[in-house]
Amino acid sequence: MKLLVCVKRVVDFNVKIRVKPDGSGVELANIKMSMNPFDEIAVEEAVRLKEQGKVTEIVAVSIGPQQAGETIRTALAMGADRGILVKTDATVEPLAVAKILAKVVEQEKPDLVIMGKQAIDDDANQTGQMLAALLGWPQGTFAFKVAVGEGSIDVTREVDGGLQTVGLKLPAIVTTDLRLNEPRYASLPNIMKAKKKPLDETSPETLGIDVSPRLKVIKTVEPGGRKAGVKVGSVAELVQKLKVEAGVL
Amino acid sequence: MNFDLTPEQMLLKDSIDRLIASRYSSLEKREAYRKEPLGFSEAIWAQFAELGLLGLPFSEEDGGFGGGPVETMVVMEALGRGLSLEPYLTTVVLGGGFLRHAGSAEQKAAYIPEIVVGNLKLALAQTERQARYDLADIATTAEKTDRGYVIDGQKSLVLAGDSADLFVVSARTSGEQRSQYGVTLFLVDANTPGISRRTYSTQDGGRATEIEFSGTIVSTDAILGPVDGGYPFLEHVIGETIAALSAEAVGAMESLHQLTVEYLKTRKQFGVSIGSFQTLQHRAVDMLMALEQARSMEMYAAMMVGSDNADERRSAISAAKVQINRSARFVGQEAVQLHGGIGMTMEYIGAHYFKRLTMIESLFGDTAHHLHQVARVGGLVAAA
Repeated sequence: MKLLVCVKRVVDFNVKIRVKPDGSGVELANIKMSMNPFDEIAVEEAVRLKEQGKVTEIVAVSIGPQQAGETIRTALAMGADRGILVKTDATVEPLAVAKILAKVVEQEKPDLVIMGKQAIDDDANQTGQMLAALLGWPQGTFAFKVAVGEGSIDVTREVDGGLQTVGLKLPAIVTTDLRLNEPRYASLPNIMKAKKKPLDETSPETLGIDVSPRLKVIKTVEPGGRKAGVKVGSVAELVQKLKVEAGVL
Repeated sequence: MNFDLTPEQMLLKDSIDRLIASRYSSLEKREAYRKEPLGFSEAIWAQFAELGLLGLPFSEEDGGFGGGPVETMVVMEALGRGLSLEPYLTTVVLGGGFLRHAGSAEQKAAYIPEIVVGNLKLALAQTERQARYDLADIATTAEKTDRGYVIDGQKSLVLAGDSADLFVVSARTSGEQRSQYGVTLFLVDANTPGISRRTYSTQDGGRATEIEFSGTIVSTDAILGPVDGGYPFLEHVIGETIAALSAEAVGAMESLHQLTVEYLKTRKQFGVSIGSFQTLQHRAVDMLMALEQARSMEMYAAMMVGSDNADERRSAISAAKVQINRSARFVGQEAVQLHGGIGMTMEYIGAHYFKRLTMIESLFGDTAHHLHQVARVGGLVAAA
């Protein structure tokens, strides 16, 4: 079984981002970038499925500038077999990403696509769903647990009020939630091996996809600072405040 | 000249940085590791093995991963940033260095794979009380008998000496007490009869051991490198260790500087953050400059440590250690000053960085010693 895993290069989750003075977006110059944490979980799940003998080949795809190749290298160092970089310097919106991925899926014909439920930069949470729609494939979003069977896959999802398990026919799309697994650190032997793994390059133009933006960013602002708290004198007062002011009890 | 790390080195850095950041995320965790039986976390040591870090500098033929001084630098910086307690320096850089440079094929085959999987830890038993920083000042003797060699003498401040399974011991087989000729290195199992150890805590939270050898018998197979010709190996491997230690210092200084700047931005006095005071900003900038000077020399040491020219190597390493020591002291002391009282409180991680930096300053030669070494060869850049 062939598996496609999608990885996005985003601002590292540890970085405190700053909004550009003109409000057009966030400052990206000289900022540490890494793989989107949800995509890391996707790669980890893919590698685990391969270790279980359920998957024979893992292809990692990224869309972005030349440096997105480094993100693919990280996926290769974690255990993916080869990479495809769809190189573009343009801002690519979820729909364009889904279209590009649909094209890649057409060429690669994987049985399963795993990707993060959302990227931590734009928090769109759209690409997986759009890709499923474009391909007409079933989707298992916010995966908490994944079990691959014969020609099918059971995806346990985190939903409000508990867990829901859906059975999907392969080929299918799975998007990962935070608690699916804990991604591994790339080991030195795997880093060395990753060097020799193939990384192909293509572009949206070659794939025949128009990536021109359909959305316009009106403004970007920093979140307001946290307000100072208050000290309450007694439990009774706290309960009173929770009831009356916060309205949570 | 390109100082950027290669993609593989970036991946290595990313991996170790994240491991250390998650394992050493608080002072409480570090204190818990320190209280474990060996004085560090065996779980983290196992994880180092799993990630291949313990095999980093060994050649692929020997079962390692063929990393060079820059890879070691990347790892040591990360360990410094997190104030890691694991004996990476003593086992992999120091002990491993002797095996790499002086070990016979049999010794390499016997010990390196064990180091790589995390089963074997090494320590160097070299320093003696009277020696100061003179590597050739060795009074411990190894006398040849028909049963092998008999080692007698005392070694002091053996870093990570209590957790080590195997010692690299320097002993005199001929020559005067301070003669470079006549020093022989031995690989001695820590459980050999005739070895007594007394371990104590060092001020930086690590451990060191006083070791007494009395009539300790080792076979001739234990000889590491040539008989009477151990000194050049001592100098070379300790040079590599200084380069690695410099990287650890830079990592620690980086963290301490960051911590201090963060504190200046958070701590309020007179209704404003103290970081808004210009005098404190100047001092934070001076700290950054000291850190960057240290970083330059750290990289210089990493580049020169593989040089075949022993004189060049020696002066580069000594010059680097001088700058590292000066910067470590400056950054450490300024951090304490800018923090105020909290800066030297045991409950605050900043104080522990300061202690480690102070310890690094005196390890393998203090400023005066290395300045003397540089001066002896006519300066780092010899006058034309």
